[in-house]
Amino acid sequence: MSKIDLNNISHSYNPNDPNPIYALNPFSMTWENGKRYAILGPSGCGKTTMLNIVSGLVRPSAGNILFDDKDVTDLKTESRNIAQVFQFPVIYNTMTVYENLAFPLKCRDFLKDKIDERVKSVADILNLQSFLNSPARKLTADQKQLISLGRGLVREDVAAVLMDEPLTVIDPDLKFRLRRKLKEINEEFKTTLVYVTHDQNEAMTFADNIIVMSEGEVVQAGTPKELFERPNTTFVGYFIGSPAMNLFETEASSNDSVKINNTIIKTNTNLSNLKDKKIKLGIRSEFIKIAKNQSENLLNVDVEKVEDLGNYKLLTAKMGSLTIKSKINRETEIPSSDVKLYIPAEKCCVYEEEKLI
Amino acid sequence: MGKLYKFLKYSFITIWTVFVVAPFLWALTTSFKDFNSVNGGATYIPWVDFEPKLEGWKVLIKSPANGGVDIIEPYFNSLFVTCTASLISIVLGTLSAYALSRFTFKAGFVKNNDITFFFISQRIMPPIVLSIPFFLFLGAIDLLDSLIGLIVVYIVLLMPIAVWIMVDFFNKVPREIDETALIDGCNPYQAFFKVVLPNSIPGLIVAGMFCIIFGWIDFFFAFILTFTEVQLLPVKIVALNSSITPWWSLSASALVSVAPLIVVAFIVERYLSKGNLSGAIK
Repeated sequence: MSKIDLNNISHSYNPNDPNPIYALNPFSMTWENGKRYAILGPSGCGKTTMLNIVSGLVRPSAGNILFDDKDVTDLKTESRNIAQVFQFPVIYNTMTVYENLAFPLKCRDFLKDKIDERVKSVADILNLQSFLNSPARKLTADQKQLISLGRGLVREDVAAVLMDEPLTVIDPDLKFRLRRKLKEINEEFKTTLVYVTHDQNEAMTFADNIIVMSEGEVVQAGTPKELFERPNTTFVGYFIGSPAMNLFETEASSNDSVKINNTIIKTNTNLSNLKDKKIKLGIRSEFIKIAKNQSENLLNVDVEKVEDLGNYKLLTAKMGSLTIKSKINRETEIPSSDVKLYIPAEKCCVYEEEKLI
Repeated sequence: MGKLYKFLKYSFITIWTVFVVAPFLWALTTSFKDFNSVNGGATYIPWVDFEPKLEGWKVLIKSPANGGVDIIEPYFNSLFVTCTASLISIVLGTLSAYALSRFTFKAGFVKNNDITFFFISQRIMPPIVLSIPFFLFLGAIDLLDSLIGLIVVYIVLLMPIAVWIMVDFFNKVPREIDETALIDGCNPYQAFFKVVLPNSIPGLIVAGMFCIIFGWIDFFFAFILTFTEVQLLPVKIVALNSSITPWWSLSASALVSVAPLIVVAFIVERYLSKGNLSGAIK
């Protein structure tokens, strides 16, 4: 359990090339002791590279890594005391489940009693007690992944447990329970957990802090609430939330308002420097409501379709060529014509060149 | 359809079995015959067609002074050379294969695949090309006509097989296994010996089998590189031949020489039928 500092880390798989391609652009970040982090991003955005740099499987081309203020950049993986769980189950085929779970402790010369105690408690958490003496290779894929997870959790003193999409092969119900279990483990033992995923729901429900990555770049790091309400870039707005954030190309019409199809929409952003510049207005579909007695920030729209998604209705509306999506409470009646949508000024995000102002 | 398929399948298997087993039966019956029963027309069934004799077998263990050929010493020579060379080849081959599979080597334009191909290329040349250099080389270090010299040569011949099979095998063992072992606290050597190697036993068995077969049946190099001091079994068996071909003792020695390979085949077959070798050979 340590604080992990990543200072100006960057990585290229062909650093000697005249034009190296960076899998990871320079970034700095601190992972606090005992917190849960999710690294979120589409495939190939550098998530796994970032994990491998922390665990020492990959040496970064530049920058350094500190565990509790001690530089470990050149320390080998086996000396870093870190646990990592991969996307697909990695088990030691020739050993039993017990031996698999005990392996990380055995490699570090723990006493037999201690090993036994830890293995049993981890097996308890993961419901593997009844398989302890079976050969690991005979188990099913999701049980094997539990073993991988168990090997990550069996050491109490690890700097952090890094998980690379660990629940991909596990069925949804167990996935949900395991995620909760991981949360409990984190709360009880204060283990720093870093969880890589491309599933935003998984990230949102699991982590205290989410790091969103795109094309080798850390685009935003923050709490789920921050990412949801104030996405730093249009990419984050698009990638997080379902449906994606509504984005309208527009221009500033006064110091704090923009024009959408000749309708003035007020925002809480100072737009005085952005006259005549192309900007985008972003608003979450969750914040768009059907107008009741509001008198401004209204959009007159035509209803295109209404989908009942169980716990809410998804309204897709058209305003000229613009498409607007809004999540509406199930109980709210949606009139078939003359619909006015209310855009709350405090929830509007304005983007210039895809970056939040 | 099902019945016809079954019929054809079993017919084919039966014909194939006869095809494979017949030479062994022929050798087995012949080994119990004498000059008269071999030359008096085709005979098959002992005690009915011919009177079985043990002469063919006895010759193999009698010393030359008593009119025998004594294949016992060559037999153990062959066993010793094959096993030692195979063992060393497997150990060296496995280590090189692991390195070639996991680490990146670069010397000018030579990369991992080129090195692997270099090993295999040793077996592309016809053996006759190698015979002169081997002869001169062993002569220079005074190892002609010796067991050690043969072992050295066989290692050169067998190691490419081991490297080739094991590189392919290690390439199929996911890298995450090694990485997990490192994360769990092994150093790279422990990761190899404790985790990767136990997972590679099927590959080792296949590589071992090929080394033993190729080592055991080699006649060519044993014939060229030894004279009087040391003899290997294949050379001795060929030397049995004379103006009157002794079919009985040739058959007996053929059976004796094939026995170790049958044992190996049975051991490997157990693994094959368990499906443990899936991916080990392709």
